Amino acid sequence: MLKYKLLWGGLFHKKLRLILSIIGIIIGVASLLLMNSFGESAKIKTLKEIETFGPEVMMVVAGNVKVRAGRAIQTEITTTLKPSDAKVLMEINGIKYISPVFNGDGIVRYLRNTLITIINGVNEEYIKLRKFPLVEGRNFLKEEVLGYKKVAILGYKVKKELFGNKDPIGKIILINKLPFRVIGVLDKIGIDASNTDQDDQVLIPYTVAISAVYNVDYIRSIYLSVKDISEISKIEDQINKLLMKRHKVSEKNKDFTIIKAEDILKVKTQTTRIFSVLVKNVSILCLLVGALGVTAIMTLSVNERKKEIGIRKALGAKEKDILFQFLAESIFITMLGGLIGILIGILGALIFLPLFNYPLIFPLGPIITSTLLTIIFGIIAGVYPAFKASKVDPIILLKQGF
Amino acid sequence: MVKKLVILKDITKTYQTGKVSYQVLKGINLEVEKGEFLAIMGASGSGKTTLLNIIGLLDKPTSGSYILDGEEVSKLSKQELAYIRNRKLGFIFQAFHLIPWATALENVLMPLLYRKEGISKKDEERAKKLLERLGLGDRIKAKPAELSGGQQQRVAIARALIGKPKLLLADEPTGNLDSKSSEEVIKIFRELNQEGITIIMVTHDPEIAKYAKRIKIIKDGNFIEK
Repeated sequence: MLKYKLLWGGLFHKKLRLILSIIGIIIGVASLLLMNSFGESAKIKTLKEIETFGPEVMMVVAGNVKVRAGRAIQTEITTTLKPSDAKVLMEINGIKYISPVFNGDGIVRYLRNTLITIINGVNEEYIKLRKFPLVEGRNFLKEEVLGYKKVAILGYKVKKELFGNKDPIGKIILINKLPFRVIGVLDKIGIDASNTDQDDQVLIPYTVAISAVYNVDYIRSIYLSVKDISEISKIEDQINKLLMKRHKVSEKNKDFTIIKAEDILKVKTQTTRIFSVLVKNVSILCLLVGALGVTAIMTLSVNERKKEIGIRKALGAKEKDILFQFLAESIFITMLGGLIGILIGILGALIFLPLFNYPLIFPLGPIITSTLLTIIFGIIAGVYPAFKASKVDPIILLKQGF
Repeated sequence: MVKKLVILKDITKTYQTGKVSYQVLKGINLEVEKGEFLAIMGASGSGKTTLLNIIGLLDKPTSGSYILDGEEVSKLSKQELAYIRNRKLGFIFQAFHLIPWATALENVLMPLLYRKEGISKKDEERAKKLLERLGLGDRIKAKPAELSGGQQQRVAIARALIGKPKLLLADEPTGNLDSKSSEEVIKIFRELNQEGITIIMVTHDPEIAKYAKRIKIIKDGNFIEK
């Protein structure tokens, strides 16, 4: 015990100095961990969103559409996409599911509960195409869609708000004052790749949507999925040609846009990539700040303790004894700082990730590398000044001590 | 048994500052026998501290030969010099040079930290006895800042003695002390010498030097004969 007190007693002599160097490491490690968790979490969140919009899915959207930040933005209302277009596209070989879609806002009411939500007019293939699972009831029947039946499938949030925990199946709700019978409820889906909350919607047959609810003769989009992903561009081509011919338009004044999952994915991954580059740079900055802090404080510490080094050398300490002493001190500081930093980083992630609705992720690889890097930096920062000091003649060190 | 502990032959020391070189020691010859108590006197700048640092292996001579305890030491490596400092020499400085964060007892034990044998319970007891003998029995847990100058110097003497050195080197040991403490310290020196410890002391104070058995005076880098 006494041996270690004699070796490292100086470490605890100036508490403020010790605490400052430990804080330097803590800041470095904690921020690295937090940034990496955030980056990885954002990536996984994006991937999850894209899952609800599979790679085999394609959209034909009326009008000129641009994809911005993963969101398909319709620039103006176009009325030239008709239900008959969807019927023609059904004939194309290689298509698995296809559904016309008309969406609009609607006021939905059950007894005294009223809410405004998105009404999606679709057919019986839509929820299979989007892979939306049902928790209660059933899908539309083909006859209900063709027969203009007023039936509805509720999104998870809509069901909760209108019915609470009661069973909605068979109940009559009002959509824009028209009575619909509830036949099913969708499971929790969350926000999809187009950034819309899929739990906040009501699905009804598109036939009813355009005729009875909104009184139009056009649809807004056609969703379709292909049997074989490798044929997706071939099918895209066919649809393009077929619709241009039917609408009598050329490539220049096209009144529809085809969006593949791939297009959305591209934009999304680009955003994610920018984000992770940002995370990496900020991480490196944190590391540098931490390392610089430790270097400064360690250099200061060694300078202040030059006299101690001189005394020890005069008493018979060899250069390697001095080096070993300061190496151990740096290791102690960086290890302690690293440990506290990891704890604070994890705590921060536990607090902030749920706050932003991000999944809780701790990427082990980056955490380990960043912690190791900080520790190595810290040790180098501590040892280098000591190495220099251990080389100096003890008489010079002793003279400086006055 | 070697009778002569220190043999210096034609020791010179030249300091180089830029283009100007300054010869501090100009061919010193000195022999010190076992059991001697030698005082080296001289004005400041005469080279007496440089000479003591060379004898203490803290500094290297520019030329000349130095045989310490029968061993030529002027060509040894830094590591070997550190070993000899630890085993054979004890230092006492004008400014005490105690480690500020360590207690009196810890300061005394410090030289043993650099021995393979480590610090045993026996060593601790020995250190306590040394401090007791020097009148610091009730101050073993005090830090240097809590001690008077005379007390600090006595801790430094205990530290110099813990390793059972063959040669005790003192550089102006009373330079920072009042006359009462100075007398206490120098009396300790004389007692130690009477017990057989060889001492070489540097001082400019004739009152202190007169306690030594032999006095040599250095002037402009060389001894002058009385």
